[in-house]
Amino acid sequence: MRGVRLGFPILLGYAPVGATFGVLARKTGFSPLQAVLCSATALAGAGQFIALSVLAAGGGVLAVLAATTVVNLRYVLFGATVAPMYGRAAGALRPLLAFTLTDETFAVNTTDARTSGADPVSALGVGAIAWVGWVGGTALGALASASIPDPTRFGAEFAMPAMFTALLVGQIESRSHAAAAAIAGVLALASAAVLPGTWGITVGAVVGAAIAAWWFR
Amino acid sequence: MRSAATIWAVIAGMAAANFVVRFAPMALVSRARIPGPIARWLSFVPVTVMASLVATEVLRPGGTWALTLANPYLLAALPTAAVFAKTRSFLGATLAGMASFLVFRALVG
Repeated sequence: MRGVRLGFPILLGYAPVGATFGVLARKTGFSPLQAVLCSATALAGAGQFIALSVLAAGGGVLAVLAATTVVNLRYVLFGATVAPMYGRAAGALRPLLAFTLTDETFAVNTTDARTSGADPVSALGVGAIAWVGWVGGTALGALASASIPDPTRFGAEFAMPAMFTALLVGQIESRSHAAAAAIAGVLALASAAVLPGTWGITVGAVVGAAIAAWWFR
Repeated sequence: MRSAATIWAVIAGMAAANFVVRFAPMALVSRARIPGPIARWLSFVPVTVMASLVATEVLRPGGTWALTLANPYLLAALPTAAVFAKTRSFLGATLAGMASFLVFRALVG
């Protein structure tokens, strides 16, 4: 399937990060089954790591849910962006496409839709393979957490920033996109200085895109 | 260490919260045609999301400012971007990024 090939790099990128989640989840008190189920049903990347750190800091269930939801508010934008792309064609696939929406599947699928037309089936293949990488990685990490050495020894904390950097470069395909990226980056950092948590990312994305859309109208 | 009940509640709540956040706009938006200005705004969202994430992760790793050249996140982002621009490979860029991060961290941090 075409989507599986498109999504394969995501699997390779997710597996080590998923394994890191598995190891950290075990340290926070998750059983291996709980760690794997959490990854399989939330598929939330940064949102899952935030949940662990809030839990480890003594936060209650509501504090954890608030933190993970705020981190993942950007998926509202992603969903609104891809929905008209697939339109009617998605049909019954829509809940599954929504479920497998992540930063990486979003970037790969929007880039692919722009170059070769929106294809919900291929997009679902990308989502499925990403899910396999994330859940498989979590299982590995959760089961082998005792024998796996500290993941930071392999530079694992740069795995996500590296993927985001590559995805950013892949999204910059014109001067207006480069300008939008610069505006958003500055806005995200400026708002991070005054807003709590990860609100800076949401503000940078929303306001940055609005300024670019107005400027390049 | 947290109780099993707390962890199960977190797992169930996260599954629900993450699905609602992703599915609600898909279910609502696809019924209507998107007006031009909104469509143009949405066309910039992917690149601005990635730029916001990169800027924050690289210059505020772990939530603390690192506005210095002795910042391995900032230094490692450059070869990562270069490798992706040259090869268009997400995996290659990610591995190159992690390798250069280890080198820069050993050198400066």
